[in-house]
Amino acid sequence: MSEVQSMTSRERVMAALAGQPVDRTPVCCPTSVATVELMDLVDAPFPDANRQAAPMARLAATAHTILGFDSVMPVFSIIQESSALGCKMQWEGKDNWPTVRMSEPIWDSVDDIYIPNDLTSHPDTQCVLDAIKLLREELGPDVAIIGKTMGPWSLAYHCFGVEKFLLLSLDDPEATKAILEKLKKVTIDFGIAQVEAGVDALTLPDHATGDLVSGEYYQRYLRDLHIEFAERIPCPLILHICGRTVDRMGFISETGMAAFHYDSKNAPEESMQTVEGRIALVGNINNPETLFSKGPEDVKAEVFANLDAGVQMIGPECAVPLQTSIANLRAIPEAVREWHAAH
Amino acid sequence: MAELSDIQNQTIQDEIEEYLERADEIERFTELFARVKPAMQDIAAAIIEGDDDEVDALTAKALENGIDAIEIMDDGLIAGMGIVGIKFRENFVFVPEVLSCARAMRAGMAHIEPILSASGIESQGKVIMGTVKGDLHDIGKNLCIMMLRGSGFEVIDLGVDVAEDTFIDAVEESGAKVLGMSALLTTTMPNMGRTIEAFIDADVRDDVLIMVGGAPVTQEFSDDMGADGYGADALSCVAMAKELIASAA
Repeated sequence: MSEVQSMTSRERVMAALAGQPVDRTPVCCPTSVATVELMDLVDAPFPDANRQAAPMARLAATAHTILGFDSVMPVFSIIQESSALGCKMQWEGKDNWPTVRMSEPIWDSVDDIYIPNDLTSHPDTQCVLDAIKLLREELGPDVAIIGKTMGPWSLAYHCFGVEKFLLLSLDDPEATKAILEKLKKVTIDFGIAQVEAGVDALTLPDHATGDLVSGEYYQRYLRDLHIEFAERIPCPLILHICGRTVDRMGFISETGMAAFHYDSKNAPEESMQTVEGRIALVGNINNPETLFSKGPEDVKAEVFANLDAGVQMIGPECAVPLQTSIANLRAIPEAVREWHAAH
Repeated sequence: MAELSDIQNQTIQDEIEEYLERADEIERFTELFARVKPAMQDIAAAIIEGDDDEVDALTAKALENGIDAIEIMDDGLIAGMGIVGIKFRENFVFVPEVLSCARAMRAGMAHIEPILSASGIESQGKVIMGTVKGDLHDIGKNLCIMMLRGSGFEVIDLGVDVAEDTFIDAVEESGAKVLGMSALLTTTMPNMGRTIEAFIDADVRDDVLIMVGGAPVTQEFSDDMGADGYGADALSCVAMAKELIASAA
C-alpha cells in the first residue's frame, strides 16, 4: 500500500476546516489525547502539564510525534479560564482530570459576574499561551496547533453550578441570556489571545448537550452567540458538544463555524445528512467502549465508518480516558491511511 | 379497564394522551390515575408542571384533610414523577424540566418525610450512592437518590468524587446490599470499572450488588466492567434497586 502525501499536516487540517480538497483525511484531536502512557514517555504528568507551559507543550506534542495525528492540542482540560475567573479548583494528580468544584459556585446572579483584568495573563491561562509558542518553535510550521476557548454555557456551569444554572434557564430566560452575554467576553478574549500566540484554529466547547438540554435551547440561547464568535474570533472555530446533538446540528451548521466535533452517540451518516455540507464534522471514535476498552481493529472499524460517511476529520469523540492505550490511538491514523490506500 | 375520561384532572389526561406512547404504560397510568383520589391527581399534575408552590400547598392541604402520607407520596408525588420520567426518557423534556419537577417533589416530600420518619415504616432496603472518583457531577445521582428515598429506600449519599476505598468502607460499615455508582464523563467512566476491581482485590465483591448509571454509561459498558445492573434514568435506578435487593434477599 503506497500513499502519496502532498500536504503537510497543517495544510491538511486547514484545508479540511476551509472545506477545501485534501490529499487524505486529517486526524485531529480537538479536545485531548493526553494519556498516562504519554505523560510517562515525555515526563509531563498532570497536574504540571495543566499548569506549566513546558510540560504542557511536551505532552501536547506527543499527539503528532508519537501518535501521528495531524494536529496538537495543549489545553487538555476545560478549566483554565474558570481558574482565572476564581473558581475553586481541584487539580488532582497524574491519573485524574482537574475539575472545578461546581458545588461551591462563585457567583449567584448576573450582577456578581466579574471578569478580572488578568484573565489572559493569569498563570493558568498564560501557561496555555506560552505552550502554544513553545509548540510552534518545536514543531515548526508543518503541524496544526489547535487551541481551546470555553463557551459561555460551559463557563456558566462552572461559575454558577450546573443545577442552579439549568434551573435558572427555565425560571428566568432573560437572566440566563444576560449571564451568557456577559460571559462571552471570556470566550472572545481568551480565543483572540491564543490566536495571537499562534494557534491555527480553536476548539470552542459549549456543553449544551442533548443529554441535558433540548435542541430548542441551543437555538434560543446559543446559536446567535456562536455566530458572533465565528465573526469576531479570527481563526477557524471547531464547536464541541458532547452527547446527543443531531437534533441541533441543523442550527449548529448555521453558525459559520468551520467544524463541529461530534460524539459517537450520533451516527456518522445521519449527522452528515443533517449538516448538509454547511459545516465540517470531526469525530467520532467512541471513547469508553472502543478506545478505552477494545482493540485497534475495533477502533479502525469506527474510523472506516466515519470515512465511508464522508466525515471530513477523524478523531476521538472527546477527551480520551487517561488510561487509553497508545496502540489504540495510533490505530486512528493507521486506519485513515489504510482507507485512503484502498480508495 | 379504565378510560382516560375516568381521570378527572385534565392535565393528567392531556399528558397521558400526548406523551405516553407504549400501550402498557398508557394502560398502567390510566388505571393508576383513574383509581386515585382527585386531590392526588392534582398533586401529580403540579409535579408534572414543576410548580413547587402548588405541590407545597396541595400536599399540606391533603394532609390536613386526613389523607395518609404514604398515599400522597405514592399516588401523587411518585405517580407524577413517573410521567416525568417517561417524558425524559423519550426526550420530550430535558434536565432543566426534570430538575424543576424534582424541586416540586422536594416541596411535597418536605411535608411527608417527617411523618414517615416518625411512623417507623420499614425501609425497602439500604442503598449506597456516589459519583466516582474524578467526577464532580451530581444531578443524575441526586435525582436517583430522591426517587429512591421517595420509594422507601434508605440511601447513604457519599457525594461526588468518591474514591474506591470510600465506597468499600461504606459498604463494609453499613452492610448495604446495593451500591450505585454514577459518572457523567466518558473520561471518568473507567473509574467505575476500577472501583469494581478494587472490590474484587479487597475480596469483598460478593458483599454487595453494584448498579451503575450516568449519561454516557450503556448496558454494554456496564456488562463489560462487571456491574450487576444498569439504569438509564432515575426510574430505572429505582426498578434496578428493587430487583437487586430482591435477588440479595
